[in-house]
Amino acid sequence: MKVERPGRLRGPARDRWAVLVLPALVFLVVFFLAPLVTMSIRSITDPPNAGLSNYTEFFGQDANLRALRNTFWIAFLSTLTCLLIGYPYAYLMTIVPGRVAGLLLIGVLLPFWSSLLVRTFAWQVILRDTGVINTFLLDLGLISEPLTLIRTTGGVIIGMSHILLPFMVLPMYAVMRRIDPEFGRAAANLGATPSAAFLRVFVPLSLPGVLAGCLLVFVLALGFYITPALLGGLRDQMISQLIVDEIQQALDWGSASAMAVLLMAVTFAFLFVASRFVHLRDVFGSAVEE
Amino acid sequence: MRRWTAFPALIVIIAVAGCSTGGGTATGSASAPSAVTPSSAASSGAGGSAGAPAAACNPPKQDGVTLTFVSFGGAYQEAQRKAWLEPYTAATGVQFQEDEGSSNATIKTQVESGQVTWDVVDVGNDFGLEANSALLEELDYTLIPEAEVNEALGPSKWRVPDITYGVVLAYNTDKTAGKVPEGWADYFDTTKFPGKRGVWDYSEGGIFEIALLADGVKPADLYPLDLPRATKKLDTIKDDLVLWKTGAESQELIGSGEVALTLIWNGRGWSAKNTDKKPVEMQWNQQIVTADYLVVPKGSPNKDAAMKFIAYTICADNNAKPSQYIPYGPTNINAKPAPDKVADLSVSNADENSAYFDDEWLVNNFDAVDAAYKEWKSR
Repeated sequence: MKVERPGRLRGPARDRWAVLVLPALVFLVVFFLAPLVTMSIRSITDPPNAGLSNYTEFFGQDANLRALRNTFWIAFLSTLTCLLIGYPYAYLMTIVPGRVAGLLLIGVLLPFWSSLLVRTFAWQVILRDTGVINTFLLDLGLISEPLTLIRTTGGVIIGMSHILLPFMVLPMYAVMRRIDPEFGRAAANLGATPSAAFLRVFVPLSLPGVLAGCLLVFVLALGFYITPALLGGLRDQMISQLIVDEIQQALDWGSASAMAVLLMAVTFAFLFVASRFVHLRDVFGSAVEE
Repeated sequence: MRRWTAFPALIVIIAVAGCSTGGGTATGSASAPSAVTPSSAASSGAGGSAGAPAAACNPPKQDGVTLTFVSFGGAYQEAQRKAWLEPYTAATGVQFQEDEGSSNATIKTQVESGQVTWDVVDVGNDFGLEANSALLEELDYTLIPEAEVNEALGPSKWRVPDITYGVVLAYNTDKTAGKVPEGWADYFDTTKFPGKRGVWDYSEGGIFEIALLADGVKPADLYPLDLPRATKKLDTIKDDLVLWKTGAESQELIGSGEVALTLIWNGRGWSAKNTDKKPVEMQWNQQIVTADYLVVPKGSPNKDAAMKFIAYTICADNNAKPSQYIPYGPTNINAKPAPDKVADLSVSNADENSAYFDDEWLVNNFDAVDAAYKEWKSR
């Protein structure tokens, strides 16, 4: 007679519960994995007998290399901006009383509940030459010519940081919450000034969260399409826009697939490198303690 | 404590999923429309003889047939609906299912996957030639009055022009302060006309053509395009260029004054002035006259019915009907446009300075043109 310990499933019982995962698994395989595989195969078979020609052609064109460079640069800048804004915000959330922390949390989550497209268009309305900021400053007489805020790398960074900030704040907050405030007090007892205690005790302990947040933001920023397309200038083209043009204008899907596979490979490379420093499970999975 | 740590992580997962799908759907909605060419496919089969036009204009009753008609939406598709679709339904009993996202890429997807749901598609001037013949059915020219279709618009075995429109220079009169730009040379003159310049973000949408026209090239000598010369001219105003991807965007940019001068489709310019009531005027000098075309994707389930409908829209009595609602012109040389719109039509304002796209050359040289455009844009 088996005594079943509460909270622990063994043997046949555990296997039966695992079956619940099946529908989600099937869905992912059919609608996510299969198209990815088809696309990857297409990158070497379209046009017929293409082999690696789509890839070599990609690297042969200056415009493509510039787009690749822009992609990394803009993703890097977005990550940096999110870090500079997000770190103080997350830290604030840990030191204010619970209710205020809840409000701050809602403040950072609210963007999730509105459409990405609407938010990007809103930034367009705010930043453009005839937009909110410029008409305000022009009416006040503070400037005589509209400021160029849109169609610049700066405009893209502003829009992307706004959209990606929650992804930076939440992992950092999750880690910062777990840092025992006793450590700070212990440092003070040992003679550290408040800033020394912060820099030498708190910051190193918060690094896993920082890395997780940066990783998440960077990876997401690599694949962004709408925001750079609407807020960026001629020279801010990212690889996502090239892919869209190949599909819709050139109707060259082999080329587009090759670019998409390239983007995927780059993303995996970053994830691999990051996995040496951060538990990916903590970033993408549940952070529930056992 | 446990709840709080799990919650943010859970939010992150959901957000990641949401973000990626958000990007995906956003992609769809912000995609650039391919050339909004008036596809006034007068699908009247040209029988070549008097019998054919009559047959085209008197289609037989076809009860129980549903055709899927696809165009570019907005005021344009509304005009096609009122001018062609509704009268056709009244005359023949054919029901229409409409779609507003005409896209060459979608035609390609449907044909390649064998799941063709579109029957009659209005496409831009960059589609429907030999290069795309594998994706399209050959039109039934025994029904379409071939002899009456305007040859200059480049009909082919797979496409027939249904409406004409112009790629013109529009200007915001508030921004130009009373001065009138006389042609594309003024578009490139930022001293005389300060402000930003709007242009379609498509390599074959006219950006190279207007640069060459501004540089003094005669319309007849435009093709083959001198790409180095065009990009050199474009470099002079590169920092002032604002690229738009959709007709609605171009209408909004010029209406709001975000750009002082822009390349625009004449229907959009007309809407900015007459519908939005914005201070926008158009310059017809040096316009590029072009057309939209009707095509039938290969493997369409209602091919015969599609051919009859296309013939109906090209027939002289019907071809000019959309001009009652939108200033896009007919492609049948015998068709008479609405008198109050005649002055606003591209074809009415065509003269010896007007240019025409060489669709054949553009389609065959797409790779070179597109590569040059991308290279110039990014440097």
